[in-house]
Amino acid sequence: MECCGPGYASPAEAMKAPKEKLLYTIAIYTGTGIQKPDYLATIDNDSDSPTYSQVISRLEMPGIGDELHHMGWNACSSCNNDASMQRKYLIVPGVRSSTLHIVDCATDPRNPTLFKVIEGSDIKTKTNLSAPHTVHCLGSEIIISMLGDAQGNAPGGYLHLDKNFQILGRWENSMGDIKFGYDFWYQPRHNIMVSSEWAAPNTFMPGFDLEEVGHLKYGREIHFWDFKEKVPKQTMYLGEDGLIPLEVRFHHDPDSSHGFVGAALSANIIHWWKDKNSEWQWEKIIDVDNEPHPEWPIPVPGVISVILLSIDDKFLYFCNWLHGDIRQYDITDPHNPKFTGQVWVGGLLGKAPEVNGVKITGGPQMIQLSLDGQRLYVTTSLFSTWDNQFYPEIRTNGGVMLQVDCDTENGGMKINENFLVNFGEEPNGPSRCHETRYPGGDCTSDIWI
Amino acid sequence: MNTAIITISNRDNARYHVDSRKPLLDSLRAQGVDLPYGCKYGGCITCAAKLILGEVNQKPQVALNNRQINDGYVILCVARALTDCTFDIGVESHDKLYRNPFLDPLAPHELKADIAQPLEPET
Repeated sequence: MECCGPGYASPAEAMKAPKEKLLYTIAIYTGTGIQKPDYLATIDNDSDSPTYSQVISRLEMPGIGDELHHMGWNACSSCNNDASMQRKYLIVPGVRSSTLHIVDCATDPRNPTLFKVIEGSDIKTKTNLSAPHTVHCLGSEIIISMLGDAQGNAPGGYLHLDKNFQILGRWENSMGDIKFGYDFWYQPRHNIMVSSEWAAPNTFMPGFDLEEVGHLKYGREIHFWDFKEKVPKQTMYLGEDGLIPLEVRFHHDPDSSHGFVGAALSANIIHWWKDKNSEWQWEKIIDVDNEPHPEWPIPVPGVISVILLSIDDKFLYFCNWLHGDIRQYDITDPHNPKFTGQVWVGGLLGKAPEVNGVKITGGPQMIQLSLDGQRLYVTTSLFSTWDNQFYPEIRTNGGVMLQVDCDTENGGMKINENFLVNFGEEPNGPSRCHETRYPGGDCTSDIWI
Repeated sequence: MNTAIITISNRDNARYHVDSRKPLLDSLRAQGVDLPYGCKYGGCITCAAKLILGEVNQKPQVALNNRQINDGYVILCVARALTDCTFDIGVESHDKLYRNPFLDPLAPHELKADIAQPLEPET
Protein backbone atom coordinates (compact mmCIF):
# COMPACT_ATOMS: atom_id res chain seq x y z
CA MET A 1 0.00 0.00 0.00
CA GLU A 2 1.24 3.44 -0.82
CA CYS A 3 1.91 5.69 2.11
CA CYS A 4 0.58 8.15 3.35
CA GLY A 5 -1.35 10.14 5.79
CA PRO A 6 -1.36 13.92 5.99
CA GLY A 7 1.65 16.16 5.88
CA TYR A 8 5.20 15.25 5.02
CA ALA A 9 7.69 12.58 6.00
CA SER A 10 10.18 15.19 7.20
CA PRO A 11 10.76 18.95 7.30
CA ALA A 12 12.97 18.54 4.21
CA GLU A 13 10.07 16.96 2.34
CA ALA A 14 7.73 19.73 3.51
CA MET A 15 10.02 22.31 1.92
CA LYS A 16 9.32 20.75 -1.48
CA ALA A 17 5.55 21.20 -1.16
CA PRO A 18 3.75 23.13 -3.89
CA LYS A 19 3.36 26.86 -3.38
CA GLU A 20 0.35 27.84 -1.22
CA LYS A 21 -2.41 29.14 -3.50
CA LEU A 22 -5.03 29.67 -0.80
CA LEU A 23 -4.64 31.34 2.58
CA TYR A 24 -7.02 31.15 5.50
CA THR A 25 -7.11 33.84 8.14
CA ILE A 26 -9.62 34.67 10.82
CA ALA A 27 -11.21 38.10 10.85
CA ILE A 28 -12.96 39.59 13.85
CA TYR A 29 -15.79 42.00 14.52
CA THR A 30 -15.69 41.35 18.26
CA GLY A 31 -14.85 44.62 20.00
CA THR A 32 -15.14 46.67 16.80
CA GLY A 33 -18.69 47.96 17.24
CA ILE A 34 -19.94 45.99 14.24
CA GLN A 35 -22.55 43.50 15.39
CA LYS A 36 -21.61 40.70 13.04
CA PRO A 37 -20.04 37.29 13.61
CA ASP A 38 -16.30 36.79 13.31
CA TYR A 39 -15.39 34.78 10.22
CA LEU A 40 -12.82 32.65 8.47
CA ALA A 41 -11.62 34.46 5.33
CA THR A 42 -10.25 32.54 2.35
CA ILE A 43 -7.77 34.49 0.24
CA ASP A 44 -6.80 33.72 -3.33
CA ASN A 45 -3.00 33.62 -3.47
CA ASP A 46 -2.60 32.42 -7.05
CA SER A 47 -0.86 35.29 -8.84
CA ASP A 48 -2.30 34.12 -12.17
CA SER A 49 -5.88 34.30 -10.91
CA PRO A 50 -8.19 37.29 -11.56
CA THR A 51 -9.07 37.31 -7.84
CA TYR A 52 -5.43 37.19 -6.67
CA SER A 53 -4.90 38.95 -3.34
CA GLN A 54 -8.64 39.14 -2.60
CA VAL A 55 -10.95 37.52 -0.07
CA ILE A 56 -12.89 34.98 -2.12
CA SER A 57 -15.11 33.50 0.58
CA ARG A 58 -16.15 34.27 4.14
CA LEU A 59 -17.40 31.64 6.56
CA GLU A 60 -19.31 33.40 9.32
CA MET A 61 -19.44 31.76 12.72
CA PRO A 62 -22.90 31.03 14.14
CA GLY A 63 -22.61 33.44 17.09
CA ILE A 64 -21.20 36.89 17.72
CA GLY A 65 -18.47 37.81 20.18
CA ASP A 66 -16.30 34.71 19.78
CA GLU A 67 -13.05 36.59 19.16
CA LEU A 68 -11.51 34.08 16.79
CA HIS A 69 -7.76 34.15 17.33
CA HIS A 70 -5.56 31.09 16.69
CA MET A 71 -6.48 27.85 14.97
CA GLY A 72 -5.07 24.46 14.11
CA TRP A 73 -5.58 21.37 11.97
CA ASN A 74 -7.18 18.11 12.99
CA ALA A 75 -4.12 16.29 11.62
CA CYS A 76 -0.58 17.20 10.61
CA SER A 77 2.70 15.50 9.77
CA SER A 78 2.57 13.82 13.18
CA CYS A 79 0.30 11.22 11.55
CA ASN A 80 2.08 11.12 8.21
CA ASN A 81 2.24 7.32 8.40
CA ASP A 82 -1.49 6.93 9.19
CA ALA A 83 -3.31 6.60 5.87
CA SER A 84 -6.67 6.74 7.65
CA MET A 85 -6.09 10.37 8.63
CA GLN A 86 -6.62 13.46 6.48
CA ARG A 87 -5.79 17.14 7.02
CA LYS A 88 -9.38 18.18 6.53
CA TYR A 89 -10.66 20.23 9.44
CA LEU A 90 -9.49 23.49 10.94
CA ILE A 91 -10.33 23.84 14.61
CA VAL A 92 -11.16 27.52 15.04
CA PRO A 93 -11.69 28.50 18.69
CA GLY A 94 -13.33 31.64 20.06
CA VAL A 95 -11.19 32.94 22.93
CA ARG A 96 -14.05 34.86 24.56
CA SER A 97 -16.93 32.46 23.91
CA SER A 98 -14.78 29.32 24.44
CA THR A 99 -16.71 27.80 21.52
CA LEU A 100 -14.79 25.56 19.07
CA HIS A 101 -15.73 25.69 15.40
CA ILE A 102 -14.74 22.68 13.34
CA VAL A 103 -14.41 23.85 9.75
CA ASP A 104 -14.23 21.53 6.74
CA CYS A 105 -11.54 23.00 4.47
CA ALA A 106 -11.00 19.94 2.28
CA THR A 107 -14.34 19.29 0.57
CA ASP A 108 -14.07 22.66 -1.18
CA PRO A 109 -10.90 24.43 -0.10
CA ARG A 110 -12.05 27.70 -1.67
CA ASN A 111 -15.31 27.66 0.32
CA PRO A 112 -14.79 26.15 3.76
CA THR A 113 -17.96 25.07 5.56
CA LEU A 114 -18.89 24.64 9.19
CA PHE A 115 -18.82 20.95 10.06
CA LYS A 116 -19.48 21.02 13.79
CA VAL A 117 -19.69 23.37 16.77
CA ILE A 118 -18.54 22.48 20.28
CA GLU A 119 -20.22 24.97 22.56
CA GLY A 120 -18.14 26.78 25.15
CA SER A 121 -20.77 25.95 27.77
CA ASP A 122 -20.27 22.24 27.03
CA ILE A 123 -16.50 22.53 27.44
CA LYS A 124 -16.89 24.45 30.70
CA THR A 125 -19.33 21.91 32.11
CA LYS A 126 -17.24 18.88 31.19
CA THR A 127 -13.73 20.18 31.90
CA ASN A 128 -14.03 23.44 33.89
CA LEU A 129 -11.88 25.11 31.21
CA SER A 130 -12.34 28.25 29.11
CA ALA A 131 -10.49 30.56 26.71
CA PRO A 132 -9.03 28.18 24.10
CA HIS A 133 -5.78 29.28 22.49
CA THR A 134 -3.27 26.98 20.74
CA VAL A 135 -4.43 23.89 18.87
CA HIS A 136 -1.96 21.07 18.20
CA CYS A 137 -2.72 17.61 16.92
CA LEU A 138 -1.13 14.76 18.76
CA GLY A 139 -1.06 11.87 16.34
CA SER A 140 -4.75 11.31 15.72
CA GLU A 141 -5.83 13.33 18.75
CA ILE A 142 -6.04 17.02 19.49
CA ILE A 143 -4.87 19.11 22.44
CA ILE A 144 -5.81 22.72 23.00
CA SER A 145 -4.33 25.06 25.59
CA MET A 146 -7.14 26.61 27.62
CA LEU A 147 -6.06 29.74 29.45
CA GLY A 148 -8.63 29.77 32.22
CA ASP A 149 -11.04 27.77 34.30
CA ALA A 150 -14.75 28.16 33.57
CA GLN A 151 -14.72 31.50 35.42
CA GLY A 152 -11.68 32.86 33.62
CA ASN A 153 -9.17 32.29 36.42
CA ALA A 154 -5.64 31.01 35.74
CA PRO A 155 -3.98 28.64 35.12
CA GLY A 156 -6.55 26.72 33.08
CA GLY A 157 -5.24 23.54 31.47
CA TYR A 158 -5.41 21.46 28.31
CA LEU A 159 -8.52 20.24 26.54
CA HIS A 160 -8.23 16.79 24.98
CA LEU A 161 -10.38 15.89 21.95
CA ASP A 162 -10.40 12.65 20.00
CA LYS A 163 -10.17 12.60 16.22
CA ASN A 164 -13.96 12.79 15.98
CA PHE A 165 -13.95 15.95 18.10
CA GLN A 166 -15.47 14.30 21.14
CA ILE A 167 -14.39 15.86 24.44
CA LEU A 168 -12.20 13.35 26.25
CA GLY A 169 -11.60 15.67 29.19
CA ARG A 170 -8.43 17.27 30.49
CA TRP A 171 -5.24 16.21 28.73
CA GLU A 172 -2.82 16.97 31.54
CA ASN A 173 -2.52 14.89 34.68
CA SER A 174 -1.38 17.89 36.69
CA MET A 175 -0.70 21.60 36.20
CA GLY A 176 1.85 21.45 39.02
CA ASP A 177 2.69 24.96 40.22
CA ILE A 178 2.08 26.56 36.83
CA LYS A 179 0.51 29.98 37.28
CA PHE A 180 -0.62 30.77 33.72
CA GLY A 181 -1.07 29.16 30.34
CA TYR A 182 -0.68 30.30 26.76
CA ASP A 183 1.22 28.52 23.98
CA PHE A 184 2.87 25.08 23.86
CA TRP A 185 4.91 22.89 21.53
CA TYR A 186 6.16 19.36 22.00
CA GLN A 187 9.16 17.38 20.80
CA PRO A 188 8.33 13.71 21.40
CA ARG A 189 11.79 12.26 20.73
CA HIS A 190 12.96 14.15 23.80
CA ASN A 191 9.71 13.39 25.65
CA ILE A 192 9.31 17.12 26.22
CA MET A 193 6.63 19.76 25.94
CA VAL A 194 7.29 23.43 26.67
CA SER A 195 4.50 25.80 27.67
CA SER A 196 4.50 29.57 28.13
CA GLU A 197 2.49 32.13 30.09
CA TRP A 198 0.24 35.05 29.17
CA ALA A 199 -2.17 35.75 32.01
CA ALA A 200 -5.58 34.75 33.34
CA PRO A 201 -8.37 35.48 30.86
CA ASN A 202 -9.91 37.81 33.43
CA THR A 203 -6.65 39.77 33.37
CA PHE A 204 -5.80 40.01 29.65
CA MET A 205 -9.23 39.98 28.06
CA PRO A 206 -10.40 43.39 29.31
CA GLY A 207 -7.15 45.00 28.12
CA PHE A 208 -3.62 45.61 29.35
CA ASP A 209 -3.02 47.41 32.63
CA LEU A 210 0.76 47.78 32.90
CA GLU A 211 0.57 47.88 36.71
CA GLU A 212 -0.72 44.30 36.71
CA VAL A 213 2.68 43.09 35.50
CA GLY A 214 4.20 44.34 38.75
CA HIS A 215 1.41 42.63 40.68
CA LEU A 216 2.48 39.32 39.07
CA LYS A 217 -0.73 39.04 37.07
CA TYR A 218 1.29 38.32 33.91
CA GLY A 219 3.65 35.43 33.21
CA ARG A 220 7.44 35.33 33.44
CA GLU A 221 8.11 31.58 33.45
CA ILE A 222 8.24 28.72 30.96
CA HIS A 223 7.53 25.12 31.83
CA PHE A 224 9.13 21.86 30.72
CA TRP A 225 6.76 18.92 30.77
CA ASP A 226 7.20 15.17 30.84
CA PHE A 227 5.20 14.72 27.66
CA LYS A 228 4.28 11.07 28.21
CA GLU A 229 3.39 11.54 31.86
CA LYS A 230 1.56 14.80 31.06
CA VAL A 231 2.97 16.58 34.09
CA PRO A 232 5.21 19.65 34.34
CA LYS A 233 8.63 18.68 35.67
CA GLN A 234 10.74 21.84 35.53
CA THR A 235 10.05 25.56 35.54
CA MET A 236 12.45 28.18 34.20
CA TYR A 237 12.01 31.53 35.95
CA LEU A 238 12.92 34.11 33.29
CA GLY A 239 12.34 37.14 35.49
CA GLU A 240 12.71 40.61 33.99
CA ASP A 241 14.26 39.06 30.87
CA GLY A 242 11.14 37.05 30.21
CA LEU A 243 8.11 39.19 30.93
CA ILE A 244 5.05 37.71 29.18
CA PRO A 245 6.61 34.79 27.28
CA LEU A 246 4.26 34.01 24.39
CA GLU A 247 4.87 31.92 21.24
CA VAL A 248 6.83 28.70 21.81
CA ARG A 249 8.67 27.13 18.86
CA PHE A 250 10.80 24.01 18.90
CA HIS A 251 13.06 23.27 15.97
CA HIS A 252 11.10 21.34 13.34
CA ASP A 253 13.92 18.78 13.27
CA PRO A 254 12.45 16.15 15.60
CA ASP A 255 15.89 15.17 16.91
CA SER A 256 16.76 18.69 18.01
CA SER A 257 16.25 19.87 21.58
CA HIS A 258 16.56 23.56 20.70
CA GLY A 259 13.58 25.84 21.04
CA PHE A 260 12.70 29.50 21.39
CA VAL A 261 10.13 31.73 23.02
CA GLY A 262 9.50 35.44 22.56
CA ALA A 263 9.08 37.46 25.75
CA ALA A 264 6.60 40.10 24.59
CA LEU A 265 7.01 42.86 27.15
CA SER A 266 10.75 42.37 27.73
CA ALA A 267 11.15 42.23 23.93
CA ASN A 268 13.68 39.40 24.20
CA ILE A 269 14.13 36.07 22.47
CA ILE A 270 14.85 33.23 24.88
CA HIS A 271 16.57 30.08 23.61
CA TRP A 272 16.60 26.70 25.39
CA TRP A 273 18.32 23.39 24.71
CA LYS A 274 19.31 20.16 26.42
CA ASP A 275 23.00 20.09 27.35
CA LYS A 276 25.51 17.21 27.37
CA ASN A 277 24.34 16.19 30.82
CA SER A 278 20.71 16.07 29.68
CA GLU A 279 19.94 19.20 31.66
CA TRP A 280 17.69 21.83 30.12
CA GLN A 281 19.35 25.24 29.84
CA TRP A 282 18.12 28.66 28.73
CA GLU A 283 19.69 31.92 27.66
CA LYS A 284 18.63 35.27 26.25
CA ILE A 285 19.89 35.53 22.66
CA ILE A 286 18.18 38.69 21.35
CA ASP A 287 17.29 41.86 23.25
CA VAL A 288 15.31 44.53 21.35
CA ASP A 289 16.05 47.97 22.78
CA ASN A 290 13.15 50.19 23.78
CA GLU A 291 12.84 53.14 21.41
CA PRO A 292 12.20 56.80 22.28
CA HIS A 293 8.91 58.34 21.13
CA PRO A 294 8.25 62.09 21.12
CA GLU A 295 4.94 61.75 22.95
CA TRP A 296 5.86 58.99 25.39
CA PRO A 297 7.29 59.64 28.85
CA ILE A 298 9.17 56.33 28.64
CA PRO A 299 10.75 54.57 25.64
CA VAL A 300 8.43 52.26 23.72
CA PRO A 301 9.03 48.52 24.21
CA GLY A 302 9.01 46.41 21.05
CA VAL A 303 6.33 44.01 22.31
CA ILE A 304 7.31 40.81 20.51
CA SER A 305 3.88 39.43 19.80
CA VAL A 306 4.96 36.41 17.75
CA ILE A 307 7.99 34.38 16.70
CA LEU A 308 8.32 31.73 14.01
CA LEU A 309 11.01 29.38 12.65
CA SER A 310 11.47 28.47 9.00
CA ILE A 311 10.81 24.80 8.37
CA ASP A 312 14.55 24.14 7.90
CA ASP A 313 15.22 25.84 11.27
CA LYS A 314 17.65 28.26 9.62
CA PHE A 315 15.75 31.51 10.17
CA LEU A 316 13.91 33.00 13.14
CA TYR A 317 11.33 35.69 12.42
CA PHE A 318 9.57 37.92 14.91
CA CYS A 319 7.45 41.05 15.09
CA ASN A 320 7.74 44.10 17.32
CA TRP A 321 4.05 45.02 17.33
CA LEU A 322 4.54 48.45 18.91
CA HIS A 323 7.75 49.40 17.08
CA GLY A 324 6.41 48.21 13.72
CA ASP A 325 9.24 45.99 12.43
CA ILE A 326 9.51 42.38 11.38
CA ARG A 327 12.97 40.92 11.84
CA GLN A 328 14.80 37.97 10.35
CA TYR A 329 17.74 36.29 12.12
CA ASP A 330 19.93 33.48 10.87
CA ILE A 331 19.93 30.98 13.74
CA THR A 332 22.13 28.34 12.15
CA ASP A 333 24.03 28.69 15.42
CA PRO A 334 21.11 29.07 17.83
CA HIS A 335 23.39 30.53 20.52
CA ASN A 336 24.57 33.29 18.17
CA PRO A 337 21.77 34.65 15.99
CA LYS A 338 22.74 36.96 13.12
CA PHE A 339 20.41 39.86 12.29
CA THR A 340 19.86 39.45 8.52
CA GLY A 341 16.70 41.32 7.55
CA GLN A 342 14.09 43.85 8.64
CA VAL A 343 10.99 45.50 7.18
CA TRP A 344 8.59 48.05 8.66
CA VAL A 345 4.80 47.85 8.70
CA GLY A 346 2.84 50.46 10.66
CA GLY A 347 3.78 50.66 14.32
CA LEU A 348 4.00 53.56 16.75
CA LEU A 349 7.43 54.83 15.69
CA GLY A 350 6.16 56.24 12.40
CA LYS A 351 8.66 54.36 10.20
CA ALA A 352 6.05 52.98 7.79
CA PRO A 353 2.63 54.63 8.21
CA GLU A 354 1.70 53.57 4.68
CA VAL A 355 2.55 50.36 2.82
CA ASN A 356 1.52 49.53 -0.76
CA GLY A 357 -0.66 52.65 -0.80
CA VAL A 358 -2.68 51.73 2.28
CA LYS A 359 -2.54 53.40 5.67
CA ILE A 360 -1.49 50.79 8.23
CA THR A 361 -3.20 50.91 11.61
CA GLY A 362 -1.61 48.56 14.07
CA GLY A 363 1.75 46.90 13.69
CA PRO A 364 3.09 43.62 12.36
CA GLN A 365 1.51 40.91 14.46
CA MET A 366 0.82 37.31 13.44
CA ILE A 367 3.14 35.91 10.78
CA GLN A 368 3.08 32.71 8.77
CA LEU A 369 5.84 31.48 6.48
CA SER A 370 5.56 29.39 3.33
CA LEU A 371 7.01 25.91 3.58
CA ASP A 372 9.81 26.83 1.15
CA GLY A 373 10.64 29.77 3.43
CA GLN A 374 10.29 32.47 0.77
CA ARG A 375 6.97 34.15 1.54
CA LEU A 376 6.05 35.53 4.94
CA TYR A 377 2.44 36.63 5.46
CA VAL A 378 1.80 39.23 8.13
CA THR A 379 -1.38 40.61 9.72
CA THR A 380 -1.73 43.65 11.94
CA SER A 381 -4.27 43.05 14.73
CA LEU A 382 -3.27 41.52 18.07
CA PHE A 383 -6.39 41.20 20.21
CA SER A 384 -9.49 43.38 20.07
CA THR A 385 -9.14 45.08 23.45
CA TRP A 386 -5.37 45.56 23.14
CA ASP A 387 -5.80 46.93 19.59
CA ASN A 388 -8.33 49.39 20.99
CA GLN A 389 -5.79 50.60 23.56
CA PHE A 390 -2.71 50.99 21.38
CA TYR A 391 -4.14 51.56 17.90
CA PRO A 392 -7.70 52.89 18.43
CA GLU A 393 -8.04 53.95 14.77
CA ILE A 394 -8.09 50.28 13.80
CA ARG A 395 -11.82 50.41 14.53
CA THR A 396 -12.42 52.47 11.42
CA ASN A 397 -9.42 51.38 9.34
CA GLY A 398 -9.43 47.61 9.98
CA GLY A 399 -6.49 45.26 9.60
CA VAL A 400 -4.39 44.29 6.60
CA MET A 401 -2.50 41.24 5.36
CA LEU A 402 0.78 41.74 3.53
CA GLN A 403 3.39 39.45 2.04
CA VAL A 404 7.10 39.82 2.73
CA ASP A 405 9.52 38.14 0.32
CA CYS A 406 12.40 36.49 2.15
CA ASP A 407 15.86 35.75 0.76
CA THR A 408 16.66 32.27 2.04
CA GLU A 409 20.18 32.21 0.63
CA ASN A 410 21.74 35.43 1.85
CA GLY A 411 19.09 36.65 4.25
CA GLY A 412 17.02 39.79 3.74
CA MET A 413 13.37 40.75 3.47
CA LYS A 414 11.29 42.95 1.18
CA ILE A 415 7.58 43.78 1.20
CA ASN A 416 5.89 42.36 -1.91
CA GLU A 417 4.26 45.19 -3.83
CA ASN A 418 1.62 43.05 -5.54
CA PHE A 419 -0.08 41.52 -2.52
CA LEU A 420 -2.32 43.36 -0.10
CA VAL A 421 -5.59 42.34 1.51
CA ASN A 422 -7.27 45.35 3.08
CA PHE A 423 -9.72 44.19 5.74
CA GLY A 424 -10.78 47.82 6.12
CA GLU A 425 -12.85 47.33 2.97
CA GLU A 426 -14.79 44.22 3.95
CA PRO A 427 -18.49 44.13 2.96
CA ASN A 428 -19.76 44.37 6.55
CA GLY A 429 -17.25 47.04 7.53
CA PRO A 430 -13.67 47.11 8.81
CA SER A 431 -12.60 43.82 10.39
CA ARG A 432 -9.25 42.68 11.77
CA CYS A 433 -7.26 39.67 10.62
CA HIS A 434 -5.01 37.56 12.84
CA GLU A 435 -3.55 34.06 12.37
CA THR A 436 -3.00 32.62 8.87
CA ARG A 437 -2.89 28.99 7.74
CA TYR A 438 -2.64 27.18 4.39
CA PRO A 439 -4.45 24.01 3.25
CA GLY A 440 -1.21 22.02 3.05
CA GLY A 441 0.27 22.90 6.41
CA ASP A 442 2.68 25.65 7.32
CA CYS A 443 5.61 26.49 9.57
CA THR A 444 3.68 26.42 12.85
CA SER A 445 1.17 23.64 12.20
CA ASP A 446 3.26 20.51 11.84
CA ILE A 447 5.28 18.49 14.33
CA TRP A 448 7.27 15.35 13.50
CA ILE A 449 7.21 12.55 16.03
CA MET B 1 -41.88 44.75 42.24
CA ASN B 2 -38.78 43.24 40.68
CA THR B 3 -38.83 45.29 37.53
CA ALA B 4 -36.83 48.31 36.46
CA ILE B 5 -37.05 50.63 33.48
CA ILE B 6 -33.89 50.86 31.38
CA THR B 7 -33.45 53.83 29.08
CA ILE B 8 -30.86 53.65 26.28
CA SER B 9 -29.89 57.26 25.70
CA ASN B 10 -27.91 56.67 22.51
CA ARG B 11 -30.77 54.70 20.96
CA ASP B 12 -33.30 57.53 20.91
CA ASN B 13 -33.99 57.04 24.63
CA ALA B 14 -35.66 53.69 23.96
CA ARG B 15 -37.17 52.26 27.18
CA TYR B 16 -37.32 48.64 28.27
CA HIS B 17 -38.84 46.93 31.31
CA VAL B 18 -36.43 44.39 32.78
CA ASP B 19 -36.56 41.84 35.57
CA SER B 20 -34.10 43.17 38.13
CA ARG B 21 -33.18 39.61 39.15
CA LYS B 22 -31.78 38.86 35.69
CA PRO B 23 -28.60 40.08 34.00
CA LEU B 24 -29.26 43.19 31.94
CA LEU B 25 -27.64 41.70 28.85
CA ASP B 26 -30.12 38.80 28.75
CA SER B 27 -33.16 40.98 29.41
CA LEU B 28 -32.26 43.61 26.85
CA ARG B 29 -31.23 41.17 24.14
CA ALA B 30 -34.50 39.26 24.67
CA GLN B 31 -36.28 42.50 23.81
CA GLY B 32 -34.30 42.99 20.64
CA VAL B 33 -31.53 45.34 21.75
CA ASP B 34 -28.46 44.55 19.65
CA LEU B 35 -25.64 44.44 22.22
CA PRO B 36 -22.06 43.23 21.98
CA TYR B 37 -20.97 40.47 24.35
CA GLY B 38 -18.28 37.81 24.68
CA CYS B 39 -17.64 35.60 27.69
CA LYS B 40 -21.00 36.01 29.49
CA TYR B 41 -19.40 35.59 32.92
CA GLY B 42 -18.24 39.14 33.59
CA GLY B 43 -14.60 38.69 32.66
CA CYS B 44 -13.98 40.01 29.16
CA ILE B 45 -15.33 43.63 28.96
CA THR B 46 -16.88 43.20 25.48
CA CYS B 47 -20.39 44.01 26.77
CA ALA B 48 -19.41 47.10 28.79
CA ALA B 49 -21.92 49.98 28.73
CA LYS B 50 -21.82 53.36 30.42
CA LEU B 51 -24.27 54.03 33.23
CA ILE B 52 -25.48 57.62 33.15
CA LEU B 53 -28.20 57.45 35.79
CA GLY B 54 -29.26 54.83 38.33
CA GLU B 55 -27.65 52.02 40.28
CA VAL B 56 -26.68 48.45 39.45
CA ASN B 57 -25.28 45.45 41.26
CA GLN B 58 -22.35 44.13 39.23
CA LYS B 59 -20.46 42.31 41.97
CA PRO B 60 -19.68 39.22 39.83
CA GLN B 61 -17.73 41.27 37.26
CA VAL B 62 -13.94 40.94 37.31
CA ALA B 63 -13.10 42.80 34.09
CA LEU B 64 -13.20 46.44 35.17
CA ASN B 65 -10.57 48.33 37.06
CA ASN B 66 -11.65 50.94 39.57
CA ARG B 67 -11.08 53.82 37.17
CA GLN B 68 -13.44 52.23 34.66
CA ILE B 69 -16.01 51.69 37.40
CA ASN B 70 -15.67 55.32 38.49
CA ASP B 71 -16.21 56.34 34.87
CA GLY B 72 -19.57 54.56 34.99
CA TYR B 73 -18.83 51.35 33.15
CA VAL B 74 -21.05 48.36 33.78
CA ILE B 75 -20.59 44.77 32.63
CA LEU B 76 -24.07 44.03 31.33
CA CYS B 77 -23.71 40.24 31.17
CA VAL B 78 -23.64 39.99 34.97
CA ALA B 79 -25.10 43.32 36.17
CA ARG B 80 -28.60 43.60 37.63
CA ALA B 81 -30.55 46.85 37.89
CA LEU B 82 -31.14 48.09 41.45
CA THR B 83 -33.11 51.12 40.25
CA ASP B 84 -34.34 52.47 36.94
CA CYS B 85 -31.23 53.18 34.86
CA THR B 86 -30.09 55.15 31.84
CA PHE B 87 -27.21 53.78 29.71
CA ASP B 88 -25.14 54.58 26.67
CA ILE B 89 -24.44 51.25 24.92
CA GLY B 90 -22.05 49.80 22.37
CA VAL B 91 -18.62 51.03 21.37
CA GLU B 92 -19.88 54.63 21.18
CA SER B 93 -19.94 54.45 24.97
CA HIS B 94 -16.34 53.16 25.16
CA ASP B 95 -14.61 56.56 24.91
CA LYS B 96 -13.02 56.16 28.34
CA LEU B 97 -12.92 52.36 28.49
CA TYR B 98 -9.63 51.91 26.64
CA ARG B 99 -6.47 53.86 27.39
CA ASN B 100 -2.83 53.51 26.42
CA PRO B 101 -1.41 51.92 29.58
CA PHE B 102 2.03 53.46 29.09
CA LEU B 103 0.82 57.02 28.53
CA ASP B 104 -1.91 57.01 31.14
CA PRO B 105 -0.97 54.80 34.08
CA LEU B 106 -3.34 53.86 36.88
CA ALA B 107 -2.92 55.04 40.44
CA PRO B 108 -2.82 52.28 43.07
CA HIS B 109 -6.47 52.88 44.02
CA GLU B 110 -7.54 52.68 40.36
CA LEU B 111 -6.46 49.06 39.82
CA LYS B 112 -8.84 46.11 39.75
CA ALA B 113 -10.51 45.44 43.07
CA ASP B 114 -8.35 42.45 44.05
CA ILE B 115 -5.09 44.44 43.89
CA ALA B 116 -6.22 48.04 44.44
CA GLN B 117 -4.94 49.91 47.47
CA PRO B 118 -7.36 52.06 49.43
CA LEU B 119 -7.17 55.74 48.56
CA GLU B 120 -5.29 57.52 51.35
CA PRO B 121 -7.43 60.29 52.78
CA GLU B 122 -5.90 63.72 52.23
CA THR B 123 -4.33 65.11 55.36
